[in-house]
Amino acid sequence: MSPKKKSTNFTTAFEELEQITAWFDSEESLDLDEGLKKFERGLLIADQLKKKLEEVQNTVQEIKLKFQDI
Amino acid sequence: MGSGLRSSILKSTIEGLTPFMHSVSVSQFLLLVNESLRLIPSQDFVVEGEISDFRIAQEKWVSFDLKDEKEEAILKCFMTTWQLKVAIEDGMRVQIKGYPKVYERYGQFKMNVTEVEPVGEGALRRAYELVKKKLEQEGFFEETRKRTIPRFPERVGLITSRDAAAYGDFIRVMNNRWGGVDVLFTHVHVQGREAVPEILHAFSFFNALSVEERPDVLVLTRGGGGLEDLHAFNDESVARAVFGSVIPVVCAVGHERDESLCDFVADVRASTPSNAAERVVPNRQEILYEMQTMTRHTQSRLQDHIEQYTLLMHRATQLFGFILERHQTRIKSLFQIFLQRVSSWPVLINEKVKSLERVLRQLDPTRILGRGYSIVRVGGKILKQSSTLEIGSRVHVQLSAGSFDAEVAGVDGKSQQRLV
Repeated sequence: MSPKKKSTNFTTAFEELEQITAWFDSEESLDLDEGLKKFERGLLIADQLKKKLEEVQNTVQEIKLKFQDI
Repeated sequence: MGSGLRSSILKSTIEGLTPFMHSVSVSQFLLLVNESLRLIPSQDFVVEGEISDFRIAQEKWVSFDLKDEKEEAILKCFMTTWQLKVAIEDGMRVQIKGYPKVYERYGQFKMNVTEVEPVGEGALRRAYELVKKKLEQEGFFEETRKRTIPRFPERVGLITSRDAAAYGDFIRVMNNRWGGVDVLFTHVHVQGREAVPEILHAFSFFNALSVEERPDVLVLTRGGGGLEDLHAFNDESVARAVFGSVIPVVCAVGHERDESLCDFVADVRASTPSNAAERVVPNRQEILYEMQTMTRHTQSRLQDHIEQYTLLMHRATQLFGFILERHQTRIKSLFQIFLQRVSSWPVLINEKVKSLERVLRQLDPTRILGRGYSIVRVGGKILKQSSTLEIGSRVHVQLSAGSFDAEVAGVDGKSQQRLV
């Protein structure tokens, strides 16, 4: 049994995007430099996620369980 | 009668008795009986009858009478609670398997039951209701204990029969919606004798995996069917396995109107196998849309802030009469970077950006100069009022192209006669 691939971690990336969006809402007047940095980071994440979404395949692996005689 | 005759009658009586019988004790006799009973091939048939006088003593010993529905005949039955795998009660028709025995201590003939099965739809339904009530009372159906399943699962454990339509439906819908998922599939019988042990085995297997290896969610599913078909999904031990699973469980049985105990115990109840796929993975299109919305939103907020900043600078210009070169440069470069980034993402440039452009243009003093105006400065400060001027003051005049220095000859139409 191989461990799950952690490299993708769609969940972490998606959550980061949500955090960035929330940051933009939280500040009344934000620092423009930081704002631009975060915006760029957001676009980068979105691009990565978009690529992940284009991945079409799921893999199905059958586990043969050995059943003892009851 | 003479003593001689009496004794000879006695002798012949005794002689008459002894050739027929050997004397055995009661326990020896019962042993003989039990040995004979053991010759009956008890495992080859079941006895069917109706339960009455069902009791459990000391939470261990189960006893009931099995009544013949036609003749007046009862069979006294006995078993232990851990042998009793189904919920039974008085009035229920059942089939039992076991071996008959005479219990020496009380001289009672009893059936030592090894298996009990309710028969007929009515009996099944009653057994189902009993288990359902029991589990409900133990808190198995509580909403509060149900766990949420991860939004973007990476690994899914699928427990179903590969011959079932459920399998195909689940996989197909999942493939349509999402990608990159690792499905671990354990083929099990979803009805029949093998179903319960195989399903339990699958649950044990998945739960025994390490945290890195185990699936993020388990899916237990099958098509619809009658009470007898769904027996495995109404089985108490299977329901307990679902409840005790450390991995959250999605259960989907047949169609909307089919219900099973596993449905109630599971963390998520899906109405069909296809619906199970919908609950387990998100839809690509929806996630893409959500991401676009988020990006549009951040862009819009950023635009607002840049606009705010720019307007602030505009106001500052009006107040202080100049705009610091560096602020102007900054806004321009910010806007350039912003536009550059934005154009790489399929988002529409909207009216706000256009108005931003307009404001920037307004701020650019050189455009005003281009129309023929000039900026007059005294001591570095932009001049707006003539009242501060004195005749003879030196002023610096900036034109659209070039500049010059001048001396004030007159103010507000009045010039002083200078004696040369």
